[in-house]
Amino acid sequence: MREVSRSCRLLLAAGLLLLGACATPPPPEDAEALAEFRAANDPAEPLNRTLFAIDRAADRLALRPLTIAYREVVPEPARQGVRNLLRNLRTPVTLMNDMLQGEPRRAGDTLGRFLINTTLGLGGLIDVADAHFGVPYRRNGFGTTLALWGVEPGPYLYLPLLGPYNPRDALGFGVDVVANPLAWFGQGSEVMALDIAWAGMTYLDQRDAVQDQLDEVERTSLDPYATIRAVSQQQRAAEIDRRRAERRSAP
Amino acid sequence: MRRRDLYGLLLLAWLCPIAPARAALTPARATAFIQAAGEELVAVINDRGLSTEERRQRVAAILRRSVDIEGVGRFVLGRFWRQASPAEQAEYLRLFEESLIRNLAGRFGELQGVAFTVERNPRLIEEDVVVATIVTRPGQPPVTLEWRVAEVGGQPRIVDLIAEGASLRLTQRSEYAAVITRGGNQVSALNAALRRQLGQ
Repeated sequence: MREVSRSCRLLLAAGLLLLGACATPPPPEDAEALAEFRAANDPAEPLNRTLFAIDRAADRLALRPLTIAYREVVPEPARQGVRNLLRNLRTPVTLMNDMLQGEPRRAGDTLGRFLINTTLGLGGLIDVADAHFGVPYRRNGFGTTLALWGVEPGPYLYLPLLGPYNPRDALGFGVDVVANPLAWFGQGSEVMALDIAWAGMTYLDQRDAVQDQLDEVERTSLDPYATIRAVSQQQRAAEIDRRRAERRSAP
Repeated sequence: MRRRDLYGLLLLAWLCPIAPARAALTPARATAFIQAAGEELVAVINDRGLSTEERRQRVAAILRRSVDIEGVGRFVLGRFWRQASPAEQAEYLRLFEESLIRNLAGRFGELQGVAFTVERNPRLIEEDVVVATIVTRPGQPPVTLEWRVAEVGGQPRIVDLIAEGASLRLTQRSEYAAVITRGGNQVSALNAALRRQLGQ
Protein backbone atom coordinates (compact mmCIF):
# COMPACT_ATOMS: atom_id res chain seq x y z
CA MET A 1 0.00 0.00 0.00
CA ARG A 2 2.87 2.36 0.68
CA GLU A 3 3.98 2.12 -2.89
CA VAL A 4 0.53 3.03 -4.10
CA SER A 5 0.11 6.01 -1.82
CA ARG A 6 3.50 7.35 -2.83
CA SER A 7 2.56 7.04 -6.48
CA CYS A 8 -0.69 8.83 -5.74
CA ARG A 9 1.15 11.73 -4.17
CA LEU A 10 3.17 12.02 -7.36
CA LEU A 11 -0.04 12.17 -9.31
CA LEU A 12 -1.26 14.91 -7.03
CA ALA A 13 1.93 16.78 -7.79
CA ALA A 14 1.12 16.49 -11.46
CA GLY A 15 -2.19 18.09 -10.65
CA LEU A 16 -4.22 15.19 -11.91
CA LEU A 17 -5.60 13.29 -9.00
CA LEU A 18 -9.30 12.75 -8.71
CA LEU A 19 -10.43 11.30 -5.40
CA GLY A 20 -10.74 7.57 -5.30
CA ALA A 21 -9.07 7.06 -8.64
CA CYS A 22 -6.44 4.60 -7.50
CA ALA A 23 -6.58 0.94 -8.41
CA THR A 24 -6.66 -1.63 -5.65
CA PRO A 25 -3.57 -3.82 -5.79
CA PRO A 26 -4.07 -7.60 -5.67
CA PRO A 27 -3.66 -9.26 -2.24
CA PRO A 28 -0.03 -9.93 -1.25
CA GLU A 29 -0.64 -13.73 -1.23
CA ASP A 30 -1.09 -13.66 -5.01
CA ALA A 31 2.57 -13.06 -5.87
CA GLU A 32 2.17 -13.34 -9.64
CA ALA A 33 -0.79 -11.00 -9.81
CA LEU A 34 1.10 -8.55 -7.63
CA ALA A 35 4.16 -8.77 -9.91
CA GLU A 36 1.93 -8.04 -12.87
CA PHE A 37 0.37 -5.07 -11.08
CA ARG A 38 3.83 -3.66 -10.38
CA ALA A 39 5.03 -4.30 -13.94
CA ALA A 40 2.07 -2.39 -15.37
CA ASN A 41 3.06 0.47 -13.03
CA ASP A 42 -0.43 1.89 -13.31
CA PRO A 43 -1.86 2.58 -9.84
CA ALA A 44 -4.23 5.19 -11.27
CA GLU A 45 -5.66 2.77 -13.84
CA PRO A 46 -9.35 3.61 -13.28
CA LEU A 47 -8.70 7.32 -13.81
CA ASN A 48 -6.37 6.64 -16.73
CA ARG A 49 -8.95 4.41 -18.39
CA THR A 50 -11.58 7.13 -18.05
CA LEU A 51 -9.25 9.70 -19.62
CA PHE A 52 -8.36 7.22 -22.35
CA ALA A 53 -12.05 6.63 -23.13
CA ILE A 54 -12.67 10.38 -23.41
CA ASP A 55 -9.62 10.79 -25.61
CA ARG A 56 -10.67 7.91 -27.82
CA ALA A 57 -14.11 9.44 -28.36
CA ALA A 58 -12.51 12.80 -29.23
CA ASP A 59 -10.16 10.92 -31.48
CA ARG A 60 -12.92 9.28 -33.46
CA LEU A 61 -14.93 12.48 -33.77
CA ALA A 62 -12.21 15.00 -34.52
CA LEU A 63 -8.53 14.17 -34.19
CA ARG A 64 -8.32 11.18 -36.48
CA PRO A 65 -10.41 12.81 -39.25
CA LEU A 66 -8.22 15.90 -38.89
CA THR A 67 -5.04 13.84 -39.25
CA ILE A 68 -6.43 12.02 -42.28
CA ALA A 69 -7.46 15.35 -43.83
CA TYR A 70 -3.97 16.71 -43.18
CA ARG A 71 -2.52 13.74 -45.04
CA GLU A 72 -4.85 14.30 -47.96
CA VAL A 73 -4.34 18.04 -48.22
CA VAL A 74 -0.58 17.93 -47.72
CA PRO A 75 1.15 15.22 -49.80
CA GLU A 76 4.14 13.29 -48.48
CA PRO A 77 7.17 15.35 -49.61
CA ALA A 78 5.51 18.49 -48.21
CA ARG A 79 4.69 16.75 -44.91
CA GLN A 80 8.33 15.82 -44.59
CA GLY A 81 9.15 19.49 -45.21
CA VAL A 82 6.81 20.50 -42.39
CA ARG A 83 8.44 17.92 -40.13
CA ASN A 84 11.91 19.25 -40.98
CA LEU A 85 10.79 22.81 -40.34
CA LEU A 86 9.30 21.93 -36.95
CA ARG A 87 12.44 20.07 -35.95
CA ASN A 88 14.54 23.04 -36.96
CA LEU A 89 12.37 25.40 -34.91
CA ARG A 90 12.82 23.11 -31.94
CA THR A 91 16.62 23.51 -32.07
CA PRO A 92 16.95 25.67 -28.90
CA VAL A 93 15.20 22.99 -26.83
CA THR A 94 17.18 20.13 -28.34
CA LEU A 95 20.42 22.06 -27.88
CA MET A 96 19.62 22.93 -24.26
CA ASN A 97 19.05 19.27 -23.44
CA ASP A 98 22.15 18.10 -25.33
CA MET A 99 24.16 20.46 -23.12
CA LEU A 100 22.35 19.60 -19.89
CA GLN A 101 23.20 15.99 -20.59
CA GLY A 102 26.85 16.89 -20.99
CA GLU A 103 26.98 15.85 -24.64
CA PRO A 104 29.13 18.42 -26.48
CA ARG A 105 29.28 16.34 -29.66
CA ARG A 106 25.55 16.00 -29.82
CA ALA A 107 25.17 19.71 -29.12
CA GLY A 108 27.67 20.48 -31.91
CA ASP A 109 25.68 18.31 -34.32
CA THR A 110 22.43 20.02 -33.33
CA LEU A 111 23.92 23.47 -33.82
CA GLY A 112 25.59 22.50 -37.11
CA ARG A 113 22.33 21.05 -38.39
CA PHE A 114 20.55 24.29 -37.51
CA LEU A 115 23.06 26.45 -39.37
CA ILE A 116 23.12 24.24 -42.47
CA ASN A 117 19.40 23.58 -42.67
CA THR A 118 18.40 27.19 -41.99
CA THR A 119 20.61 28.41 -44.85
CA LEU A 120 21.09 25.67 -47.46
CA GLY A 121 17.89 23.95 -46.37
CA LEU A 122 15.73 27.02 -47.06
CA GLY A 123 14.84 27.91 -43.50
CA GLY A 124 14.72 24.29 -42.39
CA LEU A 125 12.30 22.86 -44.97
CA ILE A 126 14.93 20.53 -46.38
CA ASP A 127 17.11 18.41 -44.14
CA VAL A 128 20.36 19.02 -46.04
CA ALA A 129 22.43 18.14 -42.97
CA ASP A 130 21.07 14.60 -42.99
CA ALA A 131 20.91 14.07 -46.76
CA HIS A 132 24.31 15.53 -47.71
CA PHE A 133 26.38 15.80 -44.55
CA GLY A 134 25.30 12.61 -42.83
CA VAL A 135 24.22 14.29 -39.60
CA PRO A 136 20.71 12.98 -38.88
CA TYR A 137 18.16 14.56 -36.55
CA ARG A 138 18.35 13.28 -33.01
CA ARG A 139 15.42 14.12 -30.82
CA ASN A 140 16.12 15.23 -27.30
CA GLY A 141 13.99 16.56 -24.49
CA PHE A 142 14.00 17.36 -20.81
CA GLY A 143 12.24 14.10 -19.95
CA THR A 144 15.28 12.28 -21.33
CA THR A 145 17.60 14.67 -19.49
CA LEU A 146 15.84 13.84 -16.22
CA ALA A 147 16.05 10.13 -17.02
CA LEU A 148 19.79 10.37 -17.66
CA TRP A 149 20.15 12.27 -14.40
CA GLY A 150 18.63 9.23 -12.73
CA VAL A 151 15.02 10.34 -12.24
CA GLU A 152 12.57 7.41 -12.33
CA PRO A 153 9.57 7.75 -14.64
CA GLY A 154 6.94 7.33 -11.90
CA PRO A 155 3.54 5.76 -12.50
CA TYR A 156 1.84 5.52 -15.86
CA LEU A 157 -0.38 8.44 -16.86
CA TYR A 158 -2.76 8.76 -19.75
CA LEU A 159 -3.15 12.43 -20.62
CA PRO A 160 -5.94 13.53 -22.95
CA LEU A 161 -4.56 14.88 -26.25
CA LEU A 162 -0.99 14.06 -25.20
CA GLY A 163 -1.44 10.32 -24.84
CA PRO A 164 0.70 7.91 -22.82
CA TYR A 165 2.96 9.67 -20.32
CA ASN A 166 4.52 9.50 -16.89
CA PRO A 167 5.18 12.32 -14.38
CA ARG A 168 8.87 12.58 -15.35
CA ASP A 169 8.20 12.98 -19.06
CA ALA A 170 5.17 15.22 -18.45
CA LEU A 171 7.37 17.53 -16.40
CA GLY A 172 10.00 17.32 -19.15
CA PHE A 173 7.42 18.27 -21.75
CA GLY A 174 6.37 21.29 -19.70
CA VAL A 175 9.97 22.44 -19.24
CA ASP A 176 10.64 22.05 -22.97
CA VAL A 177 7.61 24.17 -23.85
CA VAL A 178 8.58 26.93 -21.43
CA ALA A 179 12.26 26.77 -22.34
CA ASN A 180 11.73 27.44 -26.02
CA PRO A 181 12.80 31.07 -26.56
CA LEU A 182 10.73 31.30 -29.73
CA ALA A 183 7.62 30.88 -27.61
CA TRP A 184 8.59 34.03 -25.69
CA PHE A 185 9.60 36.07 -28.69
CA GLY A 186 7.47 39.07 -29.63
CA GLN A 187 3.92 39.89 -28.68
CA GLY A 188 0.62 40.89 -30.18
CA SER A 189 -2.08 38.91 -31.93
CA GLU A 190 0.02 37.98 -35.00
CA VAL A 191 2.71 36.41 -32.87
CA MET A 192 0.07 34.63 -30.83
CA ALA A 193 -1.57 33.34 -34.00
CA LEU A 194 1.81 32.08 -35.19
CA ASP A 195 2.43 30.35 -31.86
CA ILE A 196 -0.96 28.66 -32.03
CA ALA A 197 -0.33 27.60 -35.62
CA TRP A 198 3.03 26.24 -34.56
CA ALA A 199 1.54 24.24 -31.71
CA GLY A 200 -1.22 22.97 -34.00
CA MET A 201 1.24 21.87 -36.70
CA THR A 202 3.43 20.18 -34.11
CA TYR A 203 0.41 18.28 -32.90
CA LEU A 204 -0.71 17.26 -36.40
CA ASP A 205 2.81 16.21 -37.33
CA GLN A 206 3.14 13.99 -34.28
CA ARG A 207 -0.31 12.49 -34.83
CA ASP A 208 0.59 11.83 -38.45
CA ALA A 209 3.70 9.94 -37.31
CA VAL A 210 1.78 7.59 -34.98
CA GLN A 211 -1.60 7.34 -36.76
CA ASP A 212 -0.84 4.06 -38.54
CA GLN A 213 0.34 2.49 -35.31
CA LEU A 214 -2.83 3.65 -33.53
CA ASP A 215 -5.03 2.29 -36.31
CA GLU A 216 -3.20 -1.01 -36.07
CA VAL A 217 -3.86 -1.15 -32.31
CA GLU A 218 -7.54 -0.34 -32.83
CA ARG A 219 -7.80 -3.06 -35.43
CA THR A 220 -6.01 -5.85 -33.62
CA SER A 221 -6.08 -5.25 -29.86
CA LEU A 222 -8.67 -6.73 -27.52
CA ASP A 223 -7.86 -3.97 -25.03
CA PRO A 224 -6.31 -0.92 -26.74
CA TYR A 225 -5.72 0.77 -23.39
CA ALA A 226 -3.52 -2.09 -22.13
CA THR A 227 -1.74 -2.40 -25.47
CA ILE A 228 -0.87 1.29 -25.69
CA ARG A 229 0.30 1.24 -22.07
CA ALA A 230 2.58 -1.75 -22.67
CA VAL A 231 4.00 -0.51 -25.98
CA SER A 232 4.65 3.06 -24.83
CA GLN A 233 6.32 2.04 -21.58
CA GLN A 234 8.58 -0.48 -23.32
CA GLN A 235 9.53 1.86 -26.15
CA ARG A 236 10.31 4.73 -23.83
CA ALA A 237 12.40 2.50 -21.55
CA ALA A 238 14.26 1.12 -24.58
CA GLU A 239 14.97 4.64 -25.81
CA ILE A 240 16.45 5.60 -22.44
CA ASP A 241 18.45 2.36 -22.31
CA ARG A 242 19.86 3.07 -25.76
CA ARG A 243 20.94 6.56 -24.67
CA ARG A 244 22.58 5.16 -21.54
CA ALA A 245 24.43 2.56 -23.62
CA GLU A 246 25.63 5.24 -26.05
CA ARG A 247 27.00 7.27 -23.15
CA ARG A 248 28.83 4.29 -21.72
CA SER A 249 30.44 3.47 -25.04
CA ALA A 250 31.30 7.11 -25.82
CA PRO A 251 34.98 8.02 -25.39
CA MET B 1 31.02 -47.31 -42.72
CA ARG B 2 31.85 -46.09 -46.18
CA ARG B 3 34.53 -43.54 -46.68
CA ARG B 4 32.13 -40.87 -47.93
CA ASP B 5 30.05 -41.17 -44.76
CA LEU B 6 33.15 -40.82 -42.66
CA TYR B 7 34.10 -37.63 -44.48
CA GLY B 8 30.57 -36.43 -43.97
CA LEU B 9 30.83 -37.04 -40.23
CA LEU B 10 34.21 -35.36 -40.05
CA LEU B 11 32.82 -32.36 -41.88
CA LEU B 12 29.91 -32.25 -39.47
CA ALA B 13 32.25 -32.43 -36.50
CA TRP B 14 34.29 -29.61 -37.97
CA LEU B 15 31.20 -27.47 -38.55
CA CYS B 16 29.98 -27.75 -34.98
CA PRO B 17 33.14 -27.83 -32.92
CA ILE B 18 31.70 -26.64 -29.61
CA ALA B 19 29.75 -28.20 -26.79
CA PRO B 20 27.37 -30.69 -28.35
CA ALA B 21 25.30 -30.64 -25.14
CA ARG B 22 24.34 -27.02 -25.74
CA ALA B 23 24.92 -27.31 -29.49
CA ALA B 24 21.59 -25.60 -29.70
CA LEU B 25 21.32 -22.32 -31.41
CA THR B 26 24.41 -20.47 -32.55
CA PRO B 27 24.14 -16.78 -33.48
CA ALA B 28 25.18 -17.72 -37.02
CA ARG B 29 22.43 -20.28 -37.35
CA ALA B 30 19.80 -17.88 -36.00
CA THR B 31 20.99 -15.14 -38.36
CA ALA B 32 20.87 -17.49 -41.36
CA PHE B 33 17.39 -18.61 -40.33
CA ILE B 34 16.09 -15.02 -40.14
CA GLN B 35 17.82 -14.15 -43.42
CA ALA B 36 16.11 -17.07 -45.16
CA ALA B 37 12.66 -16.54 -43.61
CA GLY B 38 12.90 -12.79 -44.28
CA GLU B 39 13.83 -13.28 -47.94
CA GLU B 40 10.95 -15.67 -48.35
CA LEU B 41 8.53 -13.21 -46.74
CA VAL B 42 9.75 -10.22 -48.73
CA ALA B 43 9.51 -12.17 -52.00
CA VAL B 44 5.86 -12.98 -51.29
CA ILE B 45 5.00 -9.48 -50.07
CA ASN B 46 6.48 -7.84 -53.17
CA ASP B 47 5.04 -10.34 -55.66
CA ARG B 48 2.65 -8.19 -57.65
CA GLY B 49 1.22 -11.21 -59.40
CA LEU B 50 -0.58 -12.28 -56.21
CA SER B 51 -3.98 -11.09 -55.06
CA THR B 52 -4.24 -9.67 -51.54
CA GLU B 53 -5.86 -12.88 -50.33
CA GLU B 54 -3.20 -15.12 -51.92
CA ARG B 55 -0.48 -12.97 -50.47
CA ARG B 56 -1.96 -13.23 -46.99
CA GLN B 57 -2.25 -16.98 -47.28
CA ARG B 58 1.37 -17.38 -48.32
CA VAL B 59 2.58 -15.04 -45.60
CA ALA B 60 0.51 -17.09 -43.13
CA ALA B 61 2.11 -20.32 -44.39
CA ILE B 62 5.62 -18.92 -43.87
CA LEU B 63 4.70 -17.71 -40.38
CA ARG B 64 3.25 -21.09 -39.39
CA ARG B 65 6.55 -22.68 -40.35
CA SER B 66 8.84 -20.12 -38.72
CA VAL B 67 7.07 -19.08 -35.52
CA ASP B 68 6.81 -21.22 -32.37
CA ILE B 69 3.13 -20.46 -32.15
CA GLU B 70 2.29 -22.79 -29.27
CA GLY B 71 5.24 -21.61 -27.17
CA VAL B 72 4.37 -17.97 -27.76
CA GLY B 73 0.72 -18.70 -26.96
CA ARG B 74 1.62 -20.25 -23.61
CA PHE B 75 4.02 -17.42 -22.80
CA VAL B 76 1.37 -14.82 -23.61
CA LEU B 77 -1.24 -16.48 -21.39
CA GLY B 78 1.37 -16.51 -18.61
CA ARG B 79 0.10 -17.28 -15.13
CA PHE B 80 -3.41 -17.95 -16.44
CA TRP B 81 -2.27 -21.01 -18.40
CA ARG B 82 -2.25 -23.22 -15.28
CA GLN B 83 -5.56 -21.80 -14.19
CA ALA B 84 -7.30 -22.73 -17.45
CA SER B 85 -9.02 -26.10 -17.90
CA PRO B 86 -7.59 -28.40 -20.59
CA ALA B 87 -10.55 -27.55 -22.82
CA GLU B 88 -9.97 -23.82 -22.30
CA GLN B 89 -6.26 -24.27 -23.05
CA ALA B 90 -6.98 -26.10 -26.28
CA GLU B 91 -9.53 -23.56 -27.40
CA TYR B 92 -7.24 -20.70 -26.45
CA LEU B 93 -4.34 -22.12 -28.47
CA ARG B 94 -6.55 -22.58 -31.51
CA LEU B 95 -7.89 -19.01 -31.27
CA PHE B 96 -4.46 -17.56 -30.48
CA GLU B 97 -2.92 -19.15 -33.57
CA GLU B 98 -5.65 -17.84 -35.81
CA SER B 99 -5.52 -14.36 -34.31
CA LEU B 100 -1.71 -14.14 -34.44
CA ILE B 101 -1.54 -15.34 -38.03
CA ARG B 102 -4.34 -13.05 -39.12
CA ASN B 103 -2.85 -9.97 -37.43
CA LEU B 104 0.70 -10.56 -38.62
CA ALA B 105 -0.27 -11.63 -42.12
CA GLY B 106 -2.45 -8.52 -42.37
CA ARG B 107 0.34 -6.32 -41.14
CA PHE B 108 3.08 -7.80 -43.32
CA GLY B 109 0.84 -8.26 -46.35
CA GLU B 110 0.43 -4.49 -46.69
CA LEU B 111 4.14 -3.66 -46.78
CA GLN B 112 4.49 -3.28 -50.56
CA GLY B 113 8.01 -2.47 -51.74
CA VAL B 114 9.56 -3.62 -48.48
CA ALA B 115 13.26 -4.48 -48.21
CA PHE B 116 15.36 -5.55 -45.26
CA THR B 117 18.93 -6.07 -44.16
CA VAL B 118 20.07 -8.33 -41.35
CA GLU B 119 22.45 -6.77 -38.85
CA ARG B 120 25.60 -8.62 -37.88
CA ASN B 121 26.41 -9.51 -34.28
CA PRO B 122 23.07 -10.56 -32.83
CA ARG B 123 22.41 -10.16 -29.11
CA LEU B 124 22.07 -13.12 -26.79
CA ILE B 125 19.33 -13.26 -24.17
CA GLU B 126 19.33 -16.35 -21.98
CA GLU B 127 19.39 -19.27 -24.44
CA ASP B 128 17.91 -17.22 -27.26
CA VAL B 129 19.40 -15.14 -30.05
CA VAL B 130 17.97 -11.75 -30.99
CA VAL B 131 18.59 -10.92 -34.64
CA ALA B 132 18.07 -7.29 -35.69
CA THR B 133 16.81 -6.33 -39.13
CA ILE B 134 16.45 -2.89 -40.65
CA VAL B 135 13.23 -2.73 -42.62
CA THR B 136 12.81 -0.06 -45.28
CA ARG B 137 9.83 0.94 -47.35
CA PRO B 138 9.69 3.61 -50.04
CA GLY B 139 8.87 7.00 -48.52
CA GLN B 140 9.08 5.76 -44.92
CA PRO B 141 11.82 6.09 -42.35
CA PRO B 142 13.66 2.79 -41.74
CA VAL B 143 12.39 0.70 -38.83
CA THR B 144 14.38 -1.65 -36.64
CA LEU B 145 12.67 -5.00 -36.11
CA GLU B 146 14.31 -7.55 -33.85
CA TRP B 147 13.49 -11.25 -34.02
CA ARG B 148 14.02 -13.37 -30.96
CA VAL B 149 14.93 -16.87 -32.08
CA ALA B 150 14.90 -19.97 -29.87
CA GLU B 151 15.58 -23.59 -30.58
CA VAL B 152 12.33 -25.54 -30.47
CA GLY B 153 12.44 -29.29 -31.13
CA GLY B 154 15.89 -28.98 -32.71
CA GLN B 155 14.83 -26.23 -35.11
CA PRO B 156 15.24 -22.46 -34.88
CA ARG B 157 11.89 -20.76 -34.40
CA ILE B 158 10.81 -17.15 -33.91
CA VAL B 159 9.50 -16.60 -30.37
CA ASP B 160 9.19 -12.82 -30.29
CA LEU B 161 9.18 -9.74 -32.49
CA ILE B 162 10.56 -6.53 -30.98
CA ALA B 163 9.61 -3.29 -32.74
CA GLU B 164 11.50 -0.16 -31.66
CA GLY B 165 12.03 -1.66 -28.22
CA ALA B 166 8.52 -3.05 -27.68
CA SER B 167 8.21 -6.82 -27.45
CA LEU B 168 5.13 -8.19 -29.14
CA ARG B 169 4.74 -11.13 -26.76
CA LEU B 170 5.11 -8.95 -23.64
CA THR B 171 2.60 -6.49 -25.06
CA GLN B 172 0.15 -9.26 -25.85
CA ARG B 173 0.62 -10.70 -22.40
CA SER B 174 -0.45 -7.37 -20.84
CA GLU B 175 -3.33 -7.11 -23.26
CA TYR B 176 -4.63 -10.61 -22.51
CA ALA B 177 -4.06 -10.23 -18.77
CA ALA B 178 -6.18 -7.06 -18.85
CA VAL B 179 -8.97 -8.85 -20.71
CA ILE B 180 -8.90 -11.79 -18.28
CA THR B 181 -8.67 -9.64 -15.14
CA ARG B 182 -11.50 -7.41 -16.26
CA GLY B 183 -13.50 -10.48 -17.24
CA GLY B 184 -13.61 -11.77 -13.66
CA ASN B 185 -10.24 -13.59 -13.85
CA GLN B 186 -11.67 -16.11 -16.30
CA VAL B 187 -9.72 -17.42 -19.29
CA SER B 188 -13.11 -18.05 -20.88
CA ALA B 189 -13.56 -14.26 -21.05
CA LEU B 190 -10.42 -14.03 -23.19
CA ASN B 191 -11.56 -16.89 -25.42
CA ALA B 192 -14.90 -15.17 -25.89
CA ALA B 193 -13.20 -11.89 -26.82
CA LEU B 194 -10.92 -13.70 -29.30
CA ARG B 195 -13.89 -15.49 -30.84
CA ARG B 196 -15.71 -12.17 -31.23
CA GLN B 197 -12.67 -10.59 -32.86
CA LEU B 198 -12.29 -13.48 -35.27
CA GLY B 199 -16.00 -13.34 -36.06
CA GLN B 200 -16.71 -16.85 -34.77
